[in-house]
Amino acid sequence: MSGETQTQTQTQTQAQSQSETEQGPLANWTQGVISDPDQRSLLYRALFYAITIFFLVTTLFPFYWLLVLALTPNNLILAGDWDLPFLRPQGFNPQAFVEVFEQIPFHLYVFNSFVLATMTTIIVIIIASLAGYVFGRLEFPGRGPLMLAILMVSYFPPAAFLIPLFEAFTGNPVVAPFIGVELFTPPRLVNTPGAMVLPFSALFLPLSIFILTTFYAQIPDGLEDAARVEGTTRLGALFRVIMPLSAPGVATAAVLTFIAVYNEYFFSSIMALGNEPQQWSPLVGGLLQYQSLYSTEFNLMAAASIVGVLPVVILVVVAQERIVSGLTAGALKE
Amino acid sequence: MARVTLNHVTKRYEDVVAVNDMNLEIKDGEFVCLVGPSGCGKSTTMEMVAGLTKPSEGNIHIGDVDVTTLPPKDRGVAMVFQNIALFPHMDVYDNISFGLRLRKYDKEEIDRRVDHASDIVQLEGMLDRMPDEMSGGQRQRVAIARAIVREPDVFLMDEPLANLDAKLRVHMRTELQRLHKELDTTIIYVTHDQAEAMTMSDRIAVLDAGELQQIDPPLVCYNEPANLFVAGFIGSPAMNFAEGKLVPGGFESEHFSVEFDPSQIPGASVGDRVTLGIRPEDVFTTDRIQNLSSATASLDATTDVLEPMGDEIFVYLVLGESAERSMEGETASSNQLLMSVNPDSDIQEDEDVEVVLDRSKVHLFDTASGHALAHGIEELPGSGAGGGPGTEAGTGGRTGADTESQVTEAESDR
Repeated sequence: MSGETQTQTQTQTQAQSQSETEQGPLANWTQGVISDPDQRSLLYRALFYAITIFFLVTTLFPFYWLLVLALTPNNLILAGDWDLPFLRPQGFNPQAFVEVFEQIPFHLYVFNSFVLATMTTIIVIIIASLAGYVFGRLEFPGRGPLMLAILMVSYFPPAAFLIPLFEAFTGNPVVAPFIGVELFTPPRLVNTPGAMVLPFSALFLPLSIFILTTFYAQIPDGLEDAARVEGTTRLGALFRVIMPLSAPGVATAAVLTFIAVYNEYFFSSIMALGNEPQQWSPLVGGLLQYQSLYSTEFNLMAAASIVGVLPVVILVVVAQERIVSGLTAGALKE
Repeated sequence: MARVTLNHVTKRYEDVVAVNDMNLEIKDGEFVCLVGPSGCGKSTTMEMVAGLTKPSEGNIHIGDVDVTTLPPKDRGVAMVFQNIALFPHMDVYDNISFGLRLRKYDKEEIDRRVDHASDIVQLEGMLDRMPDEMSGGQRQRVAIARAIVREPDVFLMDEPLANLDAKLRVHMRTELQRLHKELDTTIIYVTHDQAEAMTMSDRIAVLDAGELQQIDPPLVCYNEPANLFVAGFIGSPAMNFAEGKLVPGGFESEHFSVEFDPSQIPGASVGDRVTLGIRPEDVFTTDRIQNLSSATASLDATTDVLEPMGDEIFVYLVLGESAERSMEGETASSNQLLMSVNPDSDIQEDEDVEVVLDRSKVHLFDTASGHALAHGIEELPGSGAGGGPGTEAGTGGRTGADTESQVTEAESDR
């Protein structure tokens, strides 16, 4: 690297010029970083690569490890020779990726999670857009406290809602607490998407409302006024002008919601009474099907995990493109 | 095309009254400017006509329809905004055709209208550009095209030129006038720039503190302001004011007096506190009064600061023989007087001069209420106080009550 030689020569010249002060190499180097812009940018670049490599290793290593496990035949996973430093597959068995679908209908579990996540995302984005418009663009008494009340929903652990929701979704009448008046009898929703999409929407709404409120509040009033004078209603202005201009925010909220629901297991494992794809059991439920009382097929679990992650990877890549193109098209300028 | 009528329109916010009991009738095809200082309620008035704000009281008619409660999209208005407000995610064609597409016009009709509108504002060949690839003037033209493409009954323009640079603003000003001639649509134009208002409009509505002060053609507002506010607001630099009172011999203030017969001023009597107003161009040095029909007695003054503008020189005068400079500046009782003289005048700073006022251009206002009492005052018969050779004494004192005529009559003496 020419930069290094340059640094060295500079260090030498500095050492010569400051020979009477008798500084050590570290002090000289520090002095160089402070006074010399080239040396400083070299340091910054080095730090950038160090940190980037650290994050890449920590995030990508699990995927690599999944791949290694998926390719290693199951009997070799426990018996294998896992000598450090290089963890490599102990065999080559790509057949696992096919076997994943042969043993159980894994694609149905993926489909379930995908449908649940898509439905929840659509519901959340529509409702959060309306709420975000109201909180971000309208002035009304009680706006602050109301926003706080909505955010409070996300303070509770989801488990706190589980028992009453399970009661209700299994078709028991809903009774007002303390006074014992029966309010209504909900339909029996367990084993249907409704039992999962409803609580997910409620749980993930506050975050999306918060994100969209801040984004919608930034759109200049003039643009909404212009749209309304041109012929839209307030609602039309929201969906035709404010939402497209907030595309990065909408994409962020949508991706966060989608991923959260796609990976969700706690609620769905309980609302789907059996771990069957026909009962809307999710992806993680499917993964656990490879574990039986007597054996655990680690290689299939790893292969299925990789297969299950793919839709999210595709989605994030597409959404990221959307975010970047939204930014470069000058969507936020005005 | 339509008439716009505001009946007793009031807009109240929690703690302020933005617009107070506004009555306004704008004729079909008229170009009316709403002018006033910041916060005078002109934009609120505009927003109420557009339907973006609902009035607290009163009603608004466009044509024969009461639109008070209609949403903006059903009012047949188009608006050009101060911040231009093009949709940044749409190209020029989509921006211009936005309103038409919402109204489900057929493709050919939309194309035809967009072509026509972009012709009018000279945007040919730019229809596929994005707003952020255009200059300020081009964007403003797109905004205007977006308004005209809908062929609205009424155009609303909220300071559309405020964000443009000075040269472009003058250019767009003439384009807008040409546009008005071509389209012949009612235009309501909000501005705080009185030069825009004076040059473009058929009538000017001057607003202050949410109230309509005067609505008249530009030159009437200039020559016969209805009150102190209009007098001070219209005209640049502003009219000189001197507070004083009516005495049997005319007007007297701390620093000077003007002779006339106070009985000719209706609605005022001797002893009343009045304010005298005179525009800088109606103050003359004594050596330039030969073509003045009737001048006041000369006043002693010392020149203070000169501001050469190229086409004229503004001279700040300090009145009185002692010529102490008052640092009070703008206060009405100050002894300063602003005069405009020819650019070829050899007037110097700190020079003693004698000045006279053009009697026909002297305005008198009631100090307490601000209402105009008279525009132009007659010489006292037989006093001969007028220092000039004015032989045809008095061109007929115009009082505040009769607003007709004589608007441009005295213009020729400069």
